[in-house]
This record gives sequence, structure tokens and C-alpha cells, in this order.
Amino acid sequence: MQAGARTRAPVLSVRGIRKAFGGTAVLHGIDLDLAAGEVLALVGENGAGKSTLLNIICGALRADGGSIRLDGTERHWGGPRHAMQAGIAFVHQELSVIRSLSVAENIRLGDYCARRTGFVDRAAMRADAAARLAELGAQHVRPELRAGRLGTADQQFVEIAKSLTGDLRVLILDEPTSSLTPFEADALFAVMRRLAARDVAIVFISHRLEEVFAVADRIAVLRDGRLVSDRPAATSRREAVIADMTGRGGLVAPSARPQPSTDVVLAATALRDRGWLGPIELTVRAGEIIGVFGLVGAGRSELLELLAGLRRPGGGTVRLFDGGGLPGSPGEAWARRIAFLPEDRKAAGILPNLSLLENMLLSWRRTMPAWLRLTREQRAAAPLLRRLAVRASSPRQRLRTLSGGNQQKVVLGRCLAVAPRLLLLDEPTRGVDIATKAEIYTTIGELAADGMAVIFASSELPEVLALATRVMVLARGQQRLLAENAGLEEAAVLSAAFRFQTEPAEA
Amino acid sequence: MAEVEARRIEGNPPATARLAVRTILQERREASVAAMLVIVFALLSAASPFFLTERNLFNVARQLSVVAIVALGQALVIIAGGIDLSVGSVIGLAAVLAAMATDATGSPALGIVAALATGGATGIVNGMLVTRARINPFITTLGTLSVARGTALLVTNGNPRAFDNWAAFLGGGRIFNVPVQFLLLILLAACMWIFAVRTRWGRDAYAVGDNARAARLAGLNVVFTRNMVFTISGLLAGLGGLLLAGMLANANPNLGLGYELDVIAAVILGGVALTGGRGSIGGVVIGAALMGLLRNAFVLLNVSGYWQTITIGLVVIIAVGADSFNRKTEDD
Repeated sequence: MQAGARTRAPVLSVRGIRKAFGGTAVLHGIDLDLAAGEVLALVGENGAGKSTLLNIICGALRADGGSIRLDGTERHWGGPRHAMQAGIAFVHQELSVIRSLSVAENIRLGDYCARRTGFVDRAAMRADAAARLAELGAQHVRPELRAGRLGTADQQFVEIAKSLTGDLRVLILDEPTSSLTPFEADALFAVMRRLAARDVAIVFISHRLEEVFAVADRIAVLRDGRLVSDRPAATSRREAVIADMTGRGGLVAPSARPQPSTDVVLAATALRDRGWLGPIELTVRAGEIIGVFGLVGAGRSELLELLAGLRRPGGGTVRLFDGGGLPGSPGEAWARRIAFLPEDRKAAGILPNLSLLENMLLSWRRTMPAWLRLTREQRAAAPLLRRLAVRASSPRQRLRTLSGGNQQKVVLGRCLAVAPRLLLLDEPTRGVDIATKAEIYTTIGELAADGMAVIFASSELPEVLALATRVMVLARGQQRLLAENAGLEEAAVLSAAFRFQTEPAEA
Repeated sequence: MAEVEARRIEGNPPATARLAVRTILQERREASVAAMLVIVFALLSAASPFFLTERNLFNVARQLSVVAIVALGQALVIIAGGIDLSVGSVIGLAAVLAAMATDATGSPALGIVAALATGGATGIVNGMLVTRARINPFITTLGTLSVARGTALLVTNGNPRAFDNWAAFLGGGRIFNVPVQFLLLILLAACMWIFAVRTRWGRDAYAVGDNARAARLAGLNVVFTRNMVFTISGLLAGLGGLLLAGMLANANPNLGLGYELDVIAAVILGGVALTGGRGSIGGVVIGAALMGLLRNAFVLLNVSGYWQTITIGLVVIIAVGADSFNRKTEDD
């Protein structure tokens, strides 16, 4: 497209951006430059101000002070649409494709290539959509398909294609990989590089440092509303970035691996669900932490849901610590002290309008008389609030006013409140900042040391390797690996997880 | 609670009393509706010499009681994320079946039982259709609205029946000049308030309405909760039919026609979110009382009843509009 001459000129230049919400300062004067064709990773803990900054850049929020220059001219956005017309596009973490419309209609949302008569030119719309998708290297997404039938990664391509007009200058991606498999994420990175080669400047937020180092040219760290560092990715060290994010060094991994006892909590043989999961062979002892790794669609969630009573088994036998088989419903699971933390916090975990206290004691209340007593509830919640270090002004606070990390702690607290024998965690740290992650890891380690059996599923390999005592790998519902974590090679886990991808003949 | 870590407090605590009042108004919609109630009350006291008479106030109390009682059940359904459109028809069906049961057996006590059983049974059917057949509550109760009204017309052949016996005392009677209906309302509102706030079943209704999937995954019995709220709503609508028939000494198959809209308006006006999970029983009673006062205002001030209908519609829109406006500024 454009000549390489402008590659070094800053496309976007941000100076002294300040923002406060209700008297609380969120951004204290941010300076940031972005050159054409550059990929910038913006990292920092939840609440550091990343989203606020990007929302100001894309016109969704108005700054209290400071200036934004695009191609050297100072701009004041009237709203996101205004910024978009000027060439700044924002792809939100929660994708906003309209599921019932076709891919082409989504890409041309609003004008639909309509003729003057008001009738939609379907052929032109399809051709344009196909051209844009091809430009991204996503030819496999068919323009006439209903967008709701696409996977998350393809929906994301549709969103990016939507913003892909001739004058796209800056593309902003808010946690684009949070719900992608490593495989899909690689495809997204390829798209990002392709756009960067076209001189589009890209900013993305991520909590996964591996991908930050893999794809970014520069890494900017925000902490407490200040830009604490901004450096080239090639010459930066991971530890230094973490130190900038947390204000201290190193991610704390549980130091002492708990010793499993001989107490068998779960023994599953040839366990299957009614779909394609299984057979699973697994014995879990008290004090063990089983990390289940696999790509999206590998059956991680399905396995946990089966154990939590959400899915019917299709075969095999299971014997639990109390001598019974699989629970028949979530209610029965909780009553038998099998606690389950679901993957999608917003859709399946929190009760946003109820208080922190009620959210935490929701399952615990089943074990108590139906007549509620406030003192009893406060007594039950106090140790959990302390142990999990939930940051809130009051236990009466509505849960939706808490940050994502604190919401996650509350949902984890709901599990701990029933003093479970078997704790099932699906993506326990999704969308949680690094400091909270470390706290959650420490808590899980302590719980196992106290004799709880933990099975957790994760799509982040470092998390599995940091936390698990034994690792199980699933691929397309098949159990590919079950091994002690100690001495396990990262490559072995990955190759087990990807085996089906590379050898489709094996089905 | 001192144990709670308060390391990062979101927003600042209100520094002045004025700020505190504003926060209360924003946090609790029922407070702003209560303020409206007080204003209307004061204006009416000034505007009409008849308003503050015992006779008029008790009349208002009697007129708002049935709507308010049925609204208690409706509130629970809406809090649990549903809606019950059938309540108006259940009022009519319960009234005529109560009259017929009394006529057939000569026992007004059986008439009372018939009214409550009619309401409870319709509620159970609604609950079963929603939870077992998985039909959307709006559609389900739109269907039972029609079926119940049709049944009431069918069994009576469209003719009103007299309902003039001691059971009518519940609807038409007075104790120390206070309408019995109103006393029932106070009693039931207190019970419902305790039920909603102080029992697990009540809190489960909130939890299911706020996020049904999360509630189910946390081990709550969502099916039971939904059946329960529809049954309670049906029971209270059945009681409403008995009270109306008693007040009029007459059971008309068209009794309660369109009541569902008044009832839902009172619930929404009282601060219950149509999306579920939020609202309070106290607010619902205040909402129903405000609607009752507005109705009375038009009678006392001798303004056309048509204006009354328009005004109530506007009040609901303004109250709910102000609420979402407040919430929007809070989210920014």
C-alpha cells in the first residue's frame, strides 16, 4: 500500500492523558507514541487503566486533560464513530457480531452496500466481504454464512474485517486472545502482522506474556494509571516486565507441592459422556491438583461438567470419596461437597445485582436452615473474605461494582464456603490480573495441602505447569496424557494436545 | 464488618447529607417513588378538603388493596426473571368458581377454598409449562390468560352470579371502619417481605432472576423456585378474585379484566427490574399506593377518567426512565 517512507513517523501521538471517575484518578498523564506498522502490547494488572486509555483513544470516553494527535493534527473525538471515520478502530474483548446476520452483513453493517433505492446489493456486499477477509488471510470464512455459526476466532476476523477500510490507521484489540486456543491465536497474530505490514499501527491488551513477546514490537506497561515502562520487545526480559506490572519481581508459584495422601477421592474408569468425551481413566487422591490441558474443544470443560453433575455420563464407572457415583445434578454435587467453578464468570458465575455476601454464600446456604440469620452468614463469610483478600468497601456491595479479579475471588469463595472434598475449577484465572492470579494459585496450593482434591482445566500451559501435581492432556475428547508434573517437558504436553491437529488420519 | 479488607474503596463515600440523600435516591428506586407518593399526598391534601377525611382515605385503601395484593405475587415472579400475565383472568375465574362452589354446596368456606385452589392450580400450570415444557413465561401466561377468562365465561355462560355470604366479608367488610382487604394487604405484605428478605426461598428467587445459569451451577433448584413463584402469584390472584367478588357481592366472569397491566405497572413503578434480580416488596406496596392515590386524585378533582389512564402511563414511563438514566450515569 503506502511507501515505507512513513514507517517511522508517529501515526498516533498521545500526550498527558488524564482521567478520573468520581474523584478517583484512573490515569495520571499518559504519553504514548505509535508508529505506522508497529505492534504495541499494552500490559498491566486489572484496574491499571489500560481499557480506560484505549477507550479515550477510540473516542468512547472523554479525557479530563491531554491531547490526541493523529498524523500530527490534534483531534477531539465526538464519539467512537467519529474516531472510526478518522481511521481508529476498536475490537472489543466481548465480540459484538450480530449472530443472526450473515458474515457479509456484519462486515457492511449499517450500509449493506445499499443502492440509492434503498435495496441491498447482496452481490456487492458479498464480494466486498470476501475481499476484506482475503486481505486478512481469512478466506475460509464464507461471507454468506450466519455469523452466529462461526467460532470465536472467526468472529474476531469478521470484527477486524469490519474495520478494514482503506484509511484504517490504528487498530485497537482488547484482550483479543482471551477466548482463543493457542492455534487460533497464532492465526490472529498472523493477521496482525499482515496488517502491520500494511502500515496499520496496532495496539493490543493481553494478560499472556508469552504472546506479548511473540507478537509485539514494543511493550508498554501501565500500573496504577501511570506508564511505568515502554520498551522494545526484542531486548526486554519477561521478569522485568512482570516486575513493572506488579511493582515487585517474579510470579509466585506455589513453593511446596502438597503431598497426596492415600485417600482416593475420585476413581474413574472408562468414563464417557454421551458425546465424544472419553474414555477417561483417572484416580485422584486427596491433596492432588490435577491440571487438565487441551485446546478449546478438547473436552476440558465437558470433563469437569460431567464430574459436577451437569452432564449425563455415557458409560464407565466412577466411585467418589463418599462411595457414590457421579452426581445427577449440580444441586446434588454441592450437597455432596463437590464444588464447581464455571469457566464463563459473567454468564455462569456471578449474580451481578446481588451482594458480595450473597454471592459468596449462595451454595453454602443449601446446607443451612431456610431461615436466614445475618450473624451466622457474616461469621461464615469473614474467614473467606480474609483468606481470599477480597477488596471491597462492604460485603453488602453489589457484585457488579467489583473488579473482575475480585469477582473471581468471590465465586471461588462460594466453592470454598461448603468446605468441598473435590474442587472443580474451569479456567480459574481467566481474565484475572497477574497479582490476583498469584493469590489464587497460592490459595489452591494451600487447599490441596489441607487435603482437598482439586481438578482444574486451563488453556494456559504455564498455569497448568505452575499449579498441577499431575497433568492430563485432552485432545478431541481423548485422554492423550496423564503424568506427574515433576519432570514433564512442556513440549511433551503440547505435542499431546496438538496430536490430532497434525495427524487427522488417526481418527 | 471490620474483617473486610477495605484497601481499595470504589468511589468516595458521600461526604454530606445531601450527597447521601442523592445516593439513596439513586440506589433505591423505591425511595424516589416514596418521595412521589408523599408529594402527591401533600398536593391532594392542599387541593381537596375531602382528601384527608377518614372516609376517603379508607376508600383509597380499599381500592388499591386488590391490585397491591396481586402485585406482591407478581413482584416475586418478575424478580425471579418471569412475568405472569394471567393474574387478571385468574381473578375472574377464581371469583366465579368461588360463587359457584358456594351455591353448589351452601358453604362459603368451600367458596374460599375454591378461589384459592383455582389460583394455586393456575399458578402450578403456569410453572409447569415454563419449567417442564420450557415455554417462555410471557407466552405461557398469555395463553393461560385467555384460557382462564374463557373458562370463566364458559362456566357461567357469561352471566354474573351473586356472591353474598359471610365470605364476602373479606372483600367488603370493615373492622373498626378499616377495610378488611387493607388489613389483609398489610399482613400479606409483611409476610411477603420477610419471605423475600429473610428466607432462602425468597433469596433464591432473586438469584434465579439475576442469573439463572449461575444459580443452577451453584446448586440452586431453579425449577422449584420458578414453580414456587408462579404458584404464589396464582394463589394471590385467586385471593384477589375472592376479595373483588366479596366487595361487589357479585362474581362477574369479566372481573379483573385488564388488571394484569395495573399490577405489572405497580410492580415496575415500585422499582422491580423487569429483567429480574432487583426490587423490593416495600417498593411494590409503595408503587401500588401511588397508583391508588393518583386514581383518587382524578375522582376528587373531578377530572375525566381518561386523563387518569394517560397519567398513570406517563408516571410509569417517567419513573422507569429516571431509573435507567440514573443507572447510566452511574455506569460511566
